[in-house]
Amino acid sequence: MNLNIFILIAMIALALWTVMTRSLLRAAIMLAFTSAIISILMFRLNSPIAAVFELSVCTGLVSVLFISTIGLTHPSVKEETFEHMVDRLRKFKFLPFIIIGMGMALGLVAVKINLQLPLAEIETDARTVMWNLRPLDIIGQVIILLSGVFGVIILFKESDKK
Amino acid sequence: MYSWFILFPLLSVIILNLPFRGMMNKIAIWYALALSIAQVYLVLFPVNIVMPFLQLNLNADIISRAVLLCIAIVLFVTILSAKYLIKKEDKLFNFVNLLFICLAGMNGVTLVTDIFSLYVFIEITAVASYTLISFYKDKDAFEAAFKYIMLSAMASAMMLAGIALIMLISGDTGFFAIREALKVSPHSSLIVFAIAIFICALFIKGGLMPFHGWLPDAYSAAPAPVSVLLAGVVTKTLGIYGLIRIMVSVIGFDGPLKQALLFIGALSIVVGALAALGQSDFKRMLAYSSISQVGYIIIGLGTGTALGIFGAVFHLFNHAIFKSSLFLNSAAVESRLGTRDMDKMNGLASKMPVTGITSVISCLSAAGLPPLAGFWSKLIIIVALWVSGYRVYAVVAIMASVITLAYFLSLQRRVFFGRIKEDSMNIKEAGIGLTLPAVILTAIIIGVGIAFPFLRDAIKF
Amino acid sequence: MTDKILLLPIIIPLVSGAMVLLFSNRFRRAIEMISLLAASLSLLVSIRLFKENLSFSLPWLGQGLEFSLKLYHFSWFILLAIASFGFLIILYSILFMRNKAYLNQFYSYFLLTISFASGAVLADNLLIMLFFWEGLLLTLFGMIAIGNKNAFKTAIKAFIIVGITDLCMMAGIILTGHLAGTLAISKISLSLNGLGALAFIFLMIGAISKAGSMPFHTWIPDAAIDAPLPFMALVPAAFEKLLGIYFLTRISLDMFQLSPGSWVSVMLMAIGAITIVLAVMMALIQKDYKRLLSYHAISQVGYMILGIGTAVPVGIVGGLFHMINNALYKSGLFLSGGCVEKQTGSTDLRELGGIGTRMPVTFICFIITAVSISGVPPFNGFFSKELVYDGALERGWIFYAAALIGSFFTAASFLKLGHAAFLGKISEKNKGVKEAPFLMLAPMIVVTLLCVIFGLYNQLPLRHLIQPVLGGIRMEGHDFSGFPGNMKLVLATVAVLIAALLNHIWGVKTKGSGLKAVDHIHHAPILSGIYDRAEKRYFDPYDMGLKIADLAAKIAFRCDRAVDWLYDGLAVKVTFAFTRQIRKAHTGSYSAYLAWSLIGAILVAVFLIYST
Repeated sequence: MNLNIFILIAMIALALWTVMTRSLLRAAIMLAFTSAIISILMFRLNSPIAAVFELSVCTGLVSVLFISTIGLTHPSVKEETFEHMVDRLRKFKFLPFIIIGMGMALGLVAVKINLQLPLAEIETDARTVMWNLRPLDIIGQVIILLSGVFGVIILFKESDKK
Repeated sequence: MYSWFILFPLLSVIILNLPFRGMMNKIAIWYALALSIAQVYLVLFPVNIVMPFLQLNLNADIISRAVLLCIAIVLFVTILSAKYLIKKEDKLFNFVNLLFICLAGMNGVTLVTDIFSLYVFIEITAVASYTLISFYKDKDAFEAAFKYIMLSAMASAMMLAGIALIMLISGDTGFFAIREALKVSPHSSLIVFAIAIFICALFIKGGLMPFHGWLPDAYSAAPAPVSVLLAGVVTKTLGIYGLIRIMVSVIGFDGPLKQALLFIGALSIVVGALAALGQSDFKRMLAYSSISQVGYIIIGLGTGTALGIFGAVFHLFNHAIFKSSLFLNSAAVESRLGTRDMDKMNGLASKMPVTGITSVISCLSAAGLPPLAGFWSKLIIIVALWVSGYRVYAVVAIMASVITLAYFLSLQRRVFFGRIKEDSMNIKEAGIGLTLPAVILTAIIIGVGIAFPFLRDAIKF
Repeated sequence: MTDKILLLPIIIPLVSGAMVLLFSNRFRRAIEMISLLAASLSLLVSIRLFKENLSFSLPWLGQGLEFSLKLYHFSWFILLAIASFGFLIILYSILFMRNKAYLNQFYSYFLLTISFASGAVLADNLLIMLFFWEGLLLTLFGMIAIGNKNAFKTAIKAFIIVGITDLCMMAGIILTGHLAGTLAISKISLSLNGLGALAFIFLMIGAISKAGSMPFHTWIPDAAIDAPLPFMALVPAAFEKLLGIYFLTRISLDMFQLSPGSWVSVMLMAIGAITIVLAVMMALIQKDYKRLLSYHAISQVGYMILGIGTAVPVGIVGGLFHMINNALYKSGLFLSGGCVEKQTGSTDLRELGGIGTRMPVTFICFIITAVSISGVPPFNGFFSKELVYDGALERGWIFYAAALIGSFFTAASFLKLGHAAFLGKISEKNKGVKEAPFLMLAPMIVVTLLCVIFGLYNQLPLRHLIQPVLGGIRMEGHDFSGFPGNMKLVLATVAVLIAALLNHIWGVKTKGSGLKAVDHIHHAPILSGIYDRAEKRYFDPYDMGLKIADLAAKIAFRCDRAVDWLYDGLAVKVTFAFTRQIRKAHTGSYSAYLAWSLIGAILVAVFLIYST
C-alpha cells in the first residue's frame, strides 16, 4: 500500500464531504482541505508546478465560495435560498450525463490528438518553485486572500452589526 | 519598474490597514487619488525604478501601456465619485482598499507574461469585483454578483482546463514558451480545443454575446462608482485586453480564429445595440451598449492586421473614457432623482446642464461622430475591416453605428431633452464629485478627437 | 498704355460695389457718391479704350485655362454702351431710389452688374465669359429680390428661368470646347453640322434667353412690376439686349459659320418672328405702364434675332443697329415711366391720364422714344427696322410679314400708352403733379437726343460702330447708312403706321378713351380667348413648369412617404421586433445564461476544431 493511495482516499472522502454537506460554509472549508491534499499529492508525484497552481486556484475558489456563501445566506431568506439552490441542482442533474455523452461522442468521431510532448524539466523543491520560479503567483495568492478578507469584512462583519 | 504597478497597491493595502486606522481613514481617499495620478504619470513618462529584490517576469508594450493609462484614468474618476457618493467614512475606507486590490489585479493582468499568472490576476480582479458589486448588500446586487460568480466560475474552469491542456505541449506557461510550442504542434484537436475554451473564458469575462448574461445585471445593480469601474476598465482589462494579449503574443491569428472573432464581435455589436434600444433603465441601456461597443473592439482585433489591432486598442481606450463618463452621468441623474427609469425623466438638461452636455458629447463619441475620439477608432476599425476584405463586417459595423446613434438619441431625448416634469422642477445639478470627473473625461474625448490626426504619427505601434 | 488697363472696367465697379455693401443705408450720400464716381470712372475708361485693340492674358487654374480678355472692333461700342448706360441710370437712380429700402444692396448689385457685364463682353475665353455670365445671374436675382413684396417670388422665377438657360449655355460651352479643342473664343471656328449644331443651339439658348426672347421671357413682365425701375431700365432694357445679342452675333459670326439657308438660320428667324408678334400682342392689352414696356422689350428682341438670323449682311447690320437703338429708346421709355411713377406714385394706366401738360419734358421724351420704337422716320428705330425688313424679305416674305405686323401693333400700343398716360382727362389725384427733377430728366434727355441723332445722322453709328463688326469682306462693299434704298419697303412701313394711327382714332372714337383704344382687338372673337388664357399664364412655360413640378413633387412625396415608411415604419418595427425577442430571451435566470455560454463555447470549439 503506497502512501499515495491513502492520500488519494482521503482526498476523495473530503471531496465527497464537500459535496454532500448541507452547510455551504462547511463545504467551503472542506474544499480548501481537499485542494490542500491534492497539492500534497502533486508534490509527491513530482509535479510541483502543478501543485503550486492547485494552491493558487484553491485560494481563489475558497474566496469565491466564501463570498458567495455570505452573499447567498442572507439572514432573512436563508432557508429559501437554500431551497432554491437545491431546486436548481435538481434541475441540472442531467448535466453529468450530457458531459459523459459528449466525451463518448468525441471518442466516436475520433478526434485526432497528435501532441508533441516536451521534455519535462522537473524542479522538485517546492521552495524553489514557489519563490524563484513563480513569485508572481505567490503575490497573486496573497492579494486574492486579502480580497477574500475584505469581502468577509464588508459583507459579513458589517451585516453582523445590523 | 513594472513590478511597482502591482506591488505598490498591495503595499498600500497593507500600510493602510496597519495601526493608526483613525488617521488612515482620512487620508486613504487622497492617497488613492495620488496613486492613480502617479500611475498616469508613470505610464506617460516611464521612469526606471530598479527593484532590488523579487525579479518578476513583467513586460509592457504599447497596448499594455494604453490599458494601464485607461485603468489609471478611470480609477481616478471612480475615486472622485466614490468620495462624493459614499458618505460613511468606514465604508469609503473599505471601498478604497478593494479598489487597490482591483488595481493590483488589473495592473497585473496588463503586465504579466505568463498565461497562468494571467489567470491568477484575472481571478484577483474578479474576486474584488464580486465584493464591490454587492457593496451595499441589496438584493439586486447580490443577485447580480451571484450571476457574475457563476459565469466567472465557469470561465475559470474553462481557463484552467485550457491552461492544463496547453501545458501538455509546452511544459511551461510563459507566453514565449507556449508560442514556440504551438509552432511545433499547431493542429492538434486537443490544443485547438484548449485554445477555444480559453478564448471563450475570456469572452465570458469580457461580456460578449452570447457569453454576456452576467453583464447587464452586474452593471446596473452595482453601486454607481463600481459601475464606472466595471464598465470602464474591469471587463475591458480582464476579457478584452486578455484576449488581445493572448491573440497577439501567444496564439497568433489564423483563418478560423479570425472568423470566430469577427462573428462573435459582429453578433455582439448588433444584438447588443438592438437590446440597448429596448431598455428603459438608464444603466441597463449603457450596459447593453457596452456589449455592443466591445463587439467593435473584437471585430477590430478579428482583422488580425496591425491597423485593426490599433483600432481595437484605441476603441478600448475611447470606450473606457466615454462609457465611464456616461455611467457618471447616470449616477448624477440617479443621485438627484432617485430612479434610473428613463420614462420618469425628461428635460433634465435645463436643470443639470453639465451632466446634459457631457452626456451628449459622450454619446456622440460612442456613436462615432466626428471629430470626437470615438469617430476615429470606429473609422480605423471599419477601414481595417474593409482593407482586409471583410466587407460584410464593415457594412455591419457601419449599420450598427446607426442603431447606436438611435438608442443614444433616444436616451438623450428621454432623459435630457424635452419639457421638464413637474415633480423634478426643483432638482439641482449633481455635486462636483460627479460633474468634475465627467468634465475631465469629456475634455479627454474632445481633446483626443481633435488631436488624433496629429497624435497618429506619434504613437509608434 | 499697358494691357492691364483692360482690367479696369471690371475692377472699378467690382471694388466699389463691394465697398458700397459695407455702408449701411444711413450713409446714403456716401453710397451715392461712390457709385456715381465708379460709374463715371468706368465711363471714362471705356471712352479711353474706344478704338483700342488690346488683349490681356493671365494663366489661371492651370490646364491651359487663361484669364484672357480681348478688346476689338466689336467690343468697343458694347463696352462703351454698358458704361454709358450704367452712368446715366445711376445718375437717374440717385433721385429715384432716394427713399427706398436696401439702398446699399441696390447700388452694390448695380455696380456688380456693370462689372460682370463688362467682363462678359471683354472675355476671350468661354469659361471666363461663363463666370461673368453667372455672376450676372446672381446680381439679377439680387436686384429683383430687393423690390416690392412679391419681388422674391419673381426673383426666384427669373433665377430659375435664366439659370436653366445658363445651364444650357454651360453645356454648349463644354460641347464647344470639346469640339474645338480650345475655349479661347477667338480661336474657335466650327461648322454647323452634327454636334456643332447642337453646341450652337445650346449657346444660342443662353444668348437669346439673356436677351429676353420667347419662350424665356416670362420673368420680365413680372419683374417690371416688382423690381426697382432703374433695374428695368438698366438690365432687361439695355444690358441684356446688349449682352445677349452681342453673344448671339459672336457665336453666329465668329465661332460658327452661320450661312443663309441653313436650318439654324431659319430657326433663329422663326424664333425672332414669333417673339415679335406674340410679345407685341401681349403688350397691346397691358394696362400698366411698366408691364406694357416690358412686353415691348421682349418684342423688340425679336427684330434683332430675326435680323441676325437672316445671316445676310443687311439683316445682321440691321439687327445690331436695332440692338443699340432699342437699348436707347427702351431705357428712355423706362426712365420716362420712372419719372411718371416717381411723380404720380403709380404706373397703372387707369389712374393716369392728362399729365402730359404737367410733365412736358417727360412727355416730349416719351413721344420721341415712342415714335422711335414704332419705326417712324426719321428716328433711329425706323432705319434699323428697315434694314431688318430688307434682310427678312430677302429670306422669305413670311418673316417680313411678321415683322410688319409687329410694327403695326407696336405703333398701336404706343398710341394707346401715350394717349392713356399723358392725354385725356386728368384724375383728381394727379392735379398737383409737377415735372420730375432735373437729375432724373437729364439721363432721359440724353438718350432721347441720341435717338434723334442716330436717326438723322445714322452714318455715325453705322459706319463707326456696327459695320466694322462684320468687317470689310462680309460687307461686300455695301454701306447701309443713309436713307433706305428700297422705297417700296419704306412705303409699306409708312402705310402700316398710318393704319395703326387710323385704328387708334377709330378705337378712341368707338370706345371713348385712349386706354380702351385697342379693346376691339383684345375682344376680337378668337383673340379674346387666347388673351384670357395668356393673362392667366397658361402660356407661361415657367408657370406650367411649376404645375408639373408640383405634380412631380406630389408623386415624389408619395414615394418619399413610402421610403420613409420603409425606414420609419418597417425598419423600426423589425428592429423592435428583434429587440423584444432579445429582451424576452433575457429572463434573468443565470442558468439560462450559463447554458448560453456553454453552448457558445461548444460552438466555438467545434467550429475551430473542424475548420483548422
